[in-house]
This record gives sequence, C-alpha cells and structure tokens, in this order.
Amino acid sequence: MQKRLFCTQAAIQIENTIKNTSLSKKWIIKQVKKSNFSQVLDEIKPHISNSDFIAISLQKTGSYSSPWQRVLPFDTPEISYLKAKRSAERFQVLQFAVCPFTLRASKLTAYPYNFHLFPRDELKIGMPSYSFACQTSYLTAMARLGFDFNSCIYDGISYISRAQESSMKHLPGNTMLRAHASQSSPAVSVADSIYIQRIKTRVKTWIKACKDSKGLNEDPMVRALRKVIMGEHGSRPCLDLDVCSERQVQLVLEVMKEYSDDTVPLLIPAKRGGTQGLRIVLTSSEQDKILFQKELQDLEEEQSKNVRGFREVIDLISASGKPVIAHNSLDDFTFIHSKFLSTLPPTIDEFKHSLSSFFPYIIDMGHVTKEFNRSRNMNNIPAASSFLRSRFFAPIDMDIPIKGTPDEMSEGKINGQNVLQLSHLFAKLNTIINRGQHHVISEDKILALDNFANVFDPYSSPLPENSDDDDVRISSGSLRKLSCDNMVFIWGFRSGLSTGELKTLLSGSHEAFSAEFDVQLVDKSCAVAALQQPGLAGAFVKAMESGGGCHEGGLKELLSEGLRAADYGTYKLACNMSKWDSNLADSLDQVLMSADQFPVDNSHGRSPYEIWWDDDTVLNLDDL
Amino acid sequence: MKKFSRVSPFSLSSALIRTLTASSSSSTTNFSLKNVTKSNFEETLIDLTNHVKAADFVAIDLEMTGVTSSPWRESFELDRYDIRYLKVKDSAEKFAVVQFGVCPFRWDSFKNSFVAHPHNFYIFPRQELPTDGPPYEFLCQTSSIEFLAKYQFDFNECIHEGVSYLSRGQEDEALSRLNSVYNGKWKNTNEVRDVPLTNVADILFSERMKNRLSDWHDMLLLNRSAALPSDVKSKQQFETIFFSMHPALRLNGFTVHQLKLIELVTRKHFKDLVFVRAYDESSFLQKLVVYVESDNDKINLMEMIKNESYQQARRKIKAAAGVRHVIDLLSAENKLIVGHNCFLDMAHMYHKFIGPLPSTIEEFVLNISKPFPQIVDTKILLNADLSLQRRMKKASTSLASAFSLLCPEIASGKSSDVAGQPSVKVEVQVDDMRSSNWNSGAKHEAGYDAFMTGCVFAQACSHLGIDFSYEKVVNSENLQKYANLLYVSWNMGDVINVSSGDVKEIPVMNSVKRRFLNISHPNIVLIWGFPSKLKASEIRKCISNVFGIYSIAGIYELDETAVFVQFTNADLAAKFLALKEKVETSDDSISVLHPLSKLLEGGKTCAAGYEIYKDICSSPISKVLFADQAEAIGIKWKTKLIEPEELTDKTAIPSPSPGSCRATKSNQSVFDKILYTPDYESNKVTNLCNS
Repeated sequence: MQKRLFCTQAAIQIENTIKNTSLSKKWIIKQVKKSNFSQVLDEIKPHISNSDFIAISLQKTGSYSSPWQRVLPFDTPEISYLKAKRSAERFQVLQFAVCPFTLRASKLTAYPYNFHLFPRDELKIGMPSYSFACQTSYLTAMARLGFDFNSCIYDGISYISRAQESSMKHLPGNTMLRAHASQSSPAVSVADSIYIQRIKTRVKTWIKACKDSKGLNEDPMVRALRKVIMGEHGSRPCLDLDVCSERQVQLVLEVMKEYSDDTVPLLIPAKRGGTQGLRIVLTSSEQDKILFQKELQDLEEEQSKNVRGFREVIDLISASGKPVIAHNSLDDFTFIHSKFLSTLPPTIDEFKHSLSSFFPYIIDMGHVTKEFNRSRNMNNIPAASSFLRSRFFAPIDMDIPIKGTPDEMSEGKINGQNVLQLSHLFAKLNTIINRGQHHVISEDKILALDNFANVFDPYSSPLPENSDDDDVRISSGSLRKLSCDNMVFIWGFRSGLSTGELKTLLSGSHEAFSAEFDVQLVDKSCAVAALQQPGLAGAFVKAMESGGGCHEGGLKELLSEGLRAADYGTYKLACNMSKWDSNLADSLDQVLMSADQFPVDNSHGRSPYEIWWDDDTVLNLDDL
Repeated sequence: MKKFSRVSPFSLSSALIRTLTASSSSSTTNFSLKNVTKSNFEETLIDLTNHVKAADFVAIDLEMTGVTSSPWRESFELDRYDIRYLKVKDSAEKFAVVQFGVCPFRWDSFKNSFVAHPHNFYIFPRQELPTDGPPYEFLCQTSSIEFLAKYQFDFNECIHEGVSYLSRGQEDEALSRLNSVYNGKWKNTNEVRDVPLTNVADILFSERMKNRLSDWHDMLLLNRSAALPSDVKSKQQFETIFFSMHPALRLNGFTVHQLKLIELVTRKHFKDLVFVRAYDESSFLQKLVVYVESDNDKINLMEMIKNESYQQARRKIKAAAGVRHVIDLLSAENKLIVGHNCFLDMAHMYHKFIGPLPSTIEEFVLNISKPFPQIVDTKILLNADLSLQRRMKKASTSLASAFSLLCPEIASGKSSDVAGQPSVKVEVQVDDMRSSNWNSGAKHEAGYDAFMTGCVFAQACSHLGIDFSYEKVVNSENLQKYANLLYVSWNMGDVINVSSGDVKEIPVMNSVKRRFLNISHPNIVLIWGFPSKLKASEIRKCISNVFGIYSIAGIYELDETAVFVQFTNADLAAKFLALKEKVETSDDSISVLHPLSKLLEGGKTCAAGYEIYKDICSSPISKVLFADQAEAIGIKWKTKLIEPEELTDKTAIPSPSPGSCRATKSNQSVFDKILYTPDYESNKVTNLCNS
C-alpha cells in the first residue's frame, strides 16, 4: 500500500531544495542504488569538478575482529596501519557517502550522495571479493539506528578495483578483445613459414568467397545456411581460426596486416588466460571498418563501465584532485585503497606513497578537531560540533540544492548524515581559522588547514562505542608521553581479574614494579603495564624468561601460576607476522614460540618510539 | 517433466470432483510458516516443547552466510574423508547460521496423516554478554549472500530481530567467570581507585556533589519522621526514592567519570551513605546513593545487592543462550533428527550450540552422537535403497527434486491419489491454522526446507514399508540400517557411521566419481606457486617429458596457483619430488635447460605429497589463492620429499605396469636429445606437430 503511494508520488518530481542552518534538523541526502546509479553518475560529475572540497564517509561491516585488534592508544603508526590494513582487507563497505561542496564566505553549498554498495560478483569470477567479514556488534548498532541491509544487498552497486580490472584482461567472461598491433616478429623459422602460408591461403579463399557471394542474388535459404557455416559477427561475415600458442597469434596478426583495409582481427580469450583463437571480421569498406572499430570501442567502454561500477565515482574524485575530507583518514583510506585501488602494501610509508598518487590532498577532521582541544576526546563528529558551537560563533548557511524523487531523497539515517555534518564542521572550522581566531586555540602554533593535509593520525582512532549511551569519555588530562621501552605485556593471569587486583598481584614481585606503575587490560586475556623508568621493562621480561632468577618468592610464584610477559617488540612482531588470534595472549605466545625462527626485531630499541599513554583509558570489562 | 504433463488431466479431473463435492479442504492454503524472532521466541519455545515431545521425528535445516572461505577449500572429488572434515570444520567455524528450520512431525492415526509444525528461527549471533558468547565476527561468502537475496531472504529481520545464542561451552564459561567475579570483586568493596584529583573541573564537580549530598543527608535527618521531600521531577539528576526500605538518591544522566567522582566523594565524606549499582524491576541498572542506619545495615544491604545482581547476571546468561534451548530440547527428548545431506548442518549445530569442533572426524562423530543419538539423512536413504532409487528414476537427489518426485501432491498443492501410489498425507499446523494442502512455496527458507525434508522422509519410510500406525518410525528395522549414516563427501560417496565412526563407501547414483580411474592419495603430489601463465596441460607436458606420457594418471586444478598431479604410482611421485629438489639446488647452467625448468620458472614453485593439503586445510587462515595461503601459514621450503616409510605404509601400491616403464624409457631418450637443443628449435618441433 505504502509502496503504491510512493510510486504515484514519484511521478511528480518534487523540488527538494532545503535551506538548513541548524544541526538538529535532519538533512536530506540523495540515496543511490543500482537503479539510479548511471543517472546519478552523470549528475555528480559537474558537482565534483566544480566543488572546492569533497567530504566522504564510509559505513563498514566492522572494524576489528577482537578487542585488541582495534587501533589502541599505545600503538605506533606502523602498528596502527597494520591493524587498519587487516580491517580493510576483511571487512566490507556497505555505504559510501560523497559530498562535493563549495564554500563562499559562510555559505556552504553541498551536494550529498549516499551510495549503497554490495560486492556482487557481476561477472561470476569471484570479484570484487570472494567473502567478507561482519562484526556482529557493528551490525547490531547499525540495525538499532534503522540501517536497511536489504537495500544494500538487493540493490547495492558493485565495483571492481583498479588492480582487479587490469588483471581481468586475462580472465574468462570478458568477451573478445581487439587485437593490438604486435611488435615486429623475430626471424621466421620453417615451421612458422609453413603456418603462415596455410593461414594466408585460408584467409584469401575466405575473403574471395565472401566477396563473390555478395554480388549474387542468393536464395534467402542459401544465405541463411552460409551464415551458419561461415559465421557472422553482427551483420558482418567472420572467420574463426584456432591457435595453439601466443606465437601463432602473432603470426596470424602479421598475416592479417596485409588485409588490414577491410578486416579486423579479434582475440577469443581461452577459459583460463591466454588466447584460444582469433576471429577475423570482414567489413564491407574502409568506412565500415572505422564504424565497426568505433562500435567495438563503445562496447568495450560500456562493458568496463558496468564492471567498474562505483569505482567510477572514486576515479572522478581522484581525477578532480580536490581536497578530500574524511573523519578518520587512516581507516577510510585503507578501505578505499584495498577495495578500489589495489591490495594494500605491507608498510605505512608505501601506503602513503601509493595513496598520494591518487589522492594528493587529504584532510583528517578527527585530527584537526583534536588539535583544538587535546585534553578532550572529540573523536565523534557530534562531540566536535557541539564543542565548536559552545566556543566559537561562526554561523554557517547551508544550502543543499539537490533534486530527486521522494524515494531517492529519504533521510540518510546513519551514513548520509555524517557526511553533511563533516562538511558543516569543516566549513565552521575553516571560518574560524580564516577569521584569525586561532590564537584562542593554541598560542605557539599558527593553525592552518595545510598543516593537517595527509596526516594519518595514528592515535586518534575512535574507541569503541560504549554501550552506556551517556558515556562520553572525558580524559582528566593525564595523557603523557611514554617510550615503548617502558611497556610490558602481561598475560596468563586468572580470567576475570580486575586491573586493581592485577596491580596488587604485581606490585613488589620485581623491582620493576616497586615504583609507581600503571596497568591496563588490553583484552580479557592480556594486560599492559606502563613503568616509570626505562630499562626496567627489559629487566623484568628477562627475569621472567630466566624462570624468576634471583627473585625468590613473588615472581617465581607468579611464573608457576602461568604468568607470562613480553616487551613491546614482541607485540609489534605479532602484528607484523599477522598473528591475529582473537586473544592477544595467544598471539604473543605464538610469537614467543616461533622466536627461534624469527629473531625478535629490536629496531624499535634503537630509536624508541614514543606513544601517548592515557591513565584513564582503562578497559573496564564490567562497563562494556 | 513429461511425467507431470501426463498426470495432469487426472489431477485436473479429481480437482474438479473435489470442487463439485465442495470439500473445504481442497483449496491450497498459503498461510506462512511460523517465523520466530526475539519478540515471540519465549512463547514459541513453550509451544514447540509440546510439539517436539509428541513428535515421531523432527526435521531440521539451516541457512548459512557461506560455505567455503576460499576457492581451494571447496569440495573436490579427490578429497580424502579426513580432509573433507577439515573443510567442513573450517566452514562451520567461520560462517554464521542465519536461519534454523525445525519441523516436528507427529503421526495422527485417527486422521491417518502426519501433522507438521514448521518453525523458522531467525538467528543472529548478537553480543548479548560483554565478554562471552559468539565470536566478534563472522564471514559472509558473497555468492551465498546473493543466493539468499535471490530467494528474498530478509536480512533486516535477521539482524534487527534475530535470536542470539550461546553454546553450552560458552554458557559454562560465562557462568564460571560470573562466579569468579562475584567471589573476587565483592570481597573488597573499595574497588574504585583513589585517584588524586588533579583536574580543576573534577575538584569543582566533587565539591559541588559533596554539598549536594550533604544537603540531602541533612534534610533526611531533619525530617526523619516526616515524609520525604517530594518535589522531585522525573527527569532530575537527583531523584529521591526508596530502595528496599532505605531512602535513596537515584542519580540520572551522569557520565561514568562523574559517577566515579560521586562514588569517591560518598566514600570519603559520608559514613552513612553508600554508593551502589543495582537493578530495578525492569532490570535496568541504576546508580544510587543509599542511606544506611548502621554498619551492620550497610553490610546487609551490600550482601543483598550482591545477591540480586548475581541472580540478575545469571538470568541474563540463561536468556542469552537463546536458540540453544531448542537444541537442548531436541537432545533432551531424544528425538529422531532428520536432515537432508546434513553433515555440514550437524557441524554447524555442534559448533554454534555445543562447543568448539574437535580436530578429527572420529572425535566429532563420537561427540555428536551423544546429544543426537538418532540421525537419518534423507540423501543417504534415497541413494542407498534400491526401491527408492527406482522411484527416483535416476533424477537428482537434491531436496527440491526429491520433494516434487516423492510428494507431488504436497509440492503441487493438489491431491491426486492416482497411479496407485500410496502417498503419505501431511497436515500442516501453524498456531491455530491447519491445512492438509499447505504450500508456502518459500524454498530455501530453513523452515520450509525442513518441512520438505520431513515430507520426503515420511514418504520414503512409507515406501520402505513402514506402517506409521503400528510402529514407531525410530524402532523400525527397515530404517535402522540407514540410521546414523551421514555423507562426509557427497562427491566421493564417503559415508560415516556416526555411532560407530566407520567410514565406508556407498555408490552414488549418477556419480561423476572416479572420473580419474582410481584415486590413490599416496600417488598425488601438490604443486603450487608456478608461473601464473602456466596451464594444467602444460604442467602435464612438462612432467611427462621427464617421466613419460604414462606417468601421470590425472591432473586436477585446485585453483589458478595450484594443481594436484596424480602419478600412476607412489614411487613416481617420490621420484618427481626428489628430482625437483635436485634441479633446484644444482647451480649448473644446464639446469636452466631441464624440461622441468619451465615449471620451476620464477623460483617460487613448491611441491609436496598429498599430506601437505591436510596441514594447509587445518590452518584457520583463509587466503583466496592457494599459493598465498601456503605462504601465510609459514611454509618456507620449496620441496617436501615423501619419506620412504610413508610409502611402505600403503600396501596397495600398484606396481608400475611394464608399458609405462617402457614409455618412460623411450621418452627419456627423446628428452636426452632435446636437452641440448636450443629453445627456439624445440619450439619449432611443437609447431610442426601442431600444423
């Protein structure tokens, strides 16, 4: 019933121009699915090329497989990247919101689009992805907000990455390719010349037969029979030649050069790579040949456009070279790189390098807002917006001149809103910064957006959404810098132990724990301790390895109860070696076991990397 | 199809007669089956309990988010049964069950018909408990999700409303964790660390809270006899209420950090106030500051809260077990379980509802037969019994095909007692609706598939000569020989007896099996990591150039990066591996010209005996390409030789036929000749051959 109502309304195009300045009101976003994708693609093109900035926001099926695999505050950029890489490789993007916008003084003109995606295997070749993971808590949270999974799965747009597309040329399912001019072939052997002779005669006879029959006034029956026997490509006659090797393909192409005035050779791909044969198409004249080649080109383009799907939009953004605004750039761009460009490189530097050739200018709003107030956790957009609203007066006039049917213009429940809030936040910040209010923010630093370009902030990844709704984590400002060398990972304690109990257990067991120290649970199996003095961590791990050593009592007893310890290098190695067990304890155990094969890399020891330690980021299992 | 068109005039006329006699039950009824979600789970469970208790057998079916986590884990004809189990185990561990169909069938001897109660449970592995429960993530196979979408599977219903579950193992773990927490934590109530207040905001907030609490405290003492101040509005931050006979202040709308500060203030400054977290009637966790008369009163109060919150947590765990209760019910009632090709289903049920899957198939069948001592697989029944095979007329034994062949009336919704086929009547009951001509038609919906399985089973039993009125299906001798047999691998026809653990073969109808002569696993060598443009036929050529054209019995592509090569005997397999290693390690320039060099090009080609496939299948990692997988599990060597004792183990090695020996010899001489011929020359030879 409702559906029918929509249909009748859909017939009337309603102008959906909404002028909106308040954040609380729902903005309207154009929803893009399989059915209206090609139309939207034409529509978004000028918006992207005319925009000043492009905001993006992704809705994923998950971000980590177990608690310790999310990006933690004490992760180095390298580890953060490895975690983001794993997440991008496993999980899937279900919605991708793109909002090109222009900013004139305080007037923001935005064109928000929310693309629904699904990695449908359109060509039946196991692409773009054979399988993907879902994090149950993510899906549950999305469901609570009213996410429509059916719409993504039934009507989502598919896509294929650049790397996949280029590898596809060698895959079945792709229809005939135009044969491209071959390089001059080397000295011709006897076998080759025999083969060439044979092909030449065959082609000559065939062309002659075709041309002869053309003039004749044939019986339609005979013509039909001829079609069956000789074969036709469209309305043009053709000849199929089987080949046994790539070498023969080159030879045939060489032969066909002679007849290039009116024939076009096509390659017939084999089931598993390579070429199975050639099809020679005879055109009636040179004009017809040009026409035919044009037809082929259009067909190829149409085909690859269908295959590329949503990647067209990514290509448009990339080609425009506009600054891209994301909220968590490391997360979002590892996903973009792995789904739409190519597989992720093993290190963060290679990743940055590879990404910069496609997206030279990326602004991470999470990082920018953090710079405004270090002591507050402003990892979600609403928190940052409300903070700015309370501190600065910078009204933004927002205009969304976007049109569509009511069906397309439904309010984007989760993701669509984010992208507009991001644009709004950016506009606000931009106004504030340009107005020269930056002295309020930080005295010693001149804040300019340029400073934030292409920073993949390693330690600003959001903490998991707490189930307690009113829980906004407020840090008491106890963030301090700490060297990796001061950290010890401890596991093997009784499950269900609280940090307090663990602290009591450890204190006094070794000189490392005689001074003030801090313990936090990483997951239910493993804890991390931050020690005051450098060097003690190493000494403690050594003492544990040597079976308690001279430290009678405490430590020996802990060891006999199964307590294990490792330094930061081991943790780093676990990530490097992709030991992604669901419990960190199991991963660390595995690394220690294989330590003989892979000597623990102590490179971090030479240049100790500093991380941020927040005394308040305690994982309280009861609060979760 | 032909058969159907011949029958249709009859069924048409009988339908006509029925309409004339105006029998009300003749029209097909299309009410939907019982869909079960969070909202109606508990009430349905009570009804289902009664149905299961009365049932003669229970048909089941599952819908999953995927089957294989990578292409090379798909089921192959040459899979040995232990490897087949590893593949099933991997599948059950990685994918989620999204629908669970349960359909109890009860024989009604008055009506001379079965009564079926199809139930369709939507399942979603929701995280109901903070630390225990289903894993954080599950895998979806894109093609399976598309398949579900094709049959209009409602993903929204599943994710929004699906019932969650805990396995028995997970429930035990959660309970023991709960016990340890309650024994440990509650001993020392001073759990919150005394953090020195450094932040100005914190100090100000604490001071304000102190004043606020002391105001309230004083007011309480002043108005001891009088009524409590009642000027509270519902949405206020502080709300005065009674908490088990004690005046208390309910704290609303504070953050966790603020609550922590309030807790600290309370402990530090007020002897007769306690900060507690307790559940109210609607099991909502509330934070309270409670006034206590004395220390004794305080201890009693804390004890009570501890007990209550313990009970609450226990209830929560019990409720989180969700769909598991259905499994507990089936197992407790000891009912005959009927499934169609249900080995994977059983593995899923075990993994989701009982505990982690054992590492070997023998342990698995031992463990599964405890909760489910009576299982019948209709696919086994249809393939193993000759009379049924005749009725199936060599048609496919897929569920849909078997259903339309054996139960045409139910499938088409028309009753036709023609052709003298004794057909079992099945009446469907959903809630208060009953119909003997029910057809919801929703294929690939777990509830409907379970119903179809049950109908096929009932019909098959009737063909086996079981009279439902006189004997219980479970006890029937005709059925016993097929009970507890499951297909480990349908392609291979390997069948395992769940109660004894024996594996045997039941020849499969229309089998494609043994397309390659005899599959002999010791003769198989696995090669991977070869140059990507190399095709299977070229690899074959490469190897037969060295060992002779009769040396290879078959070659099978695992994926684009790996092949199985079956040699004619195990000796040749070992020789191949030895030669490969020799060529690789020798530094001669001649080795470049060796016929195997084409295979070894790129320096990444690895090879090993069939056993390596088992090692790789047992890894939890799943890379899409086999070569990547081998690298990911840390294989560092290039060739793993087959040890001689491994060979002597297998007694039934066919000795190489003299023919193949001669072939090897003669080919060897050809090889000697071309060994030193330049490459383009040999190319010429092939070209000549081809033209």
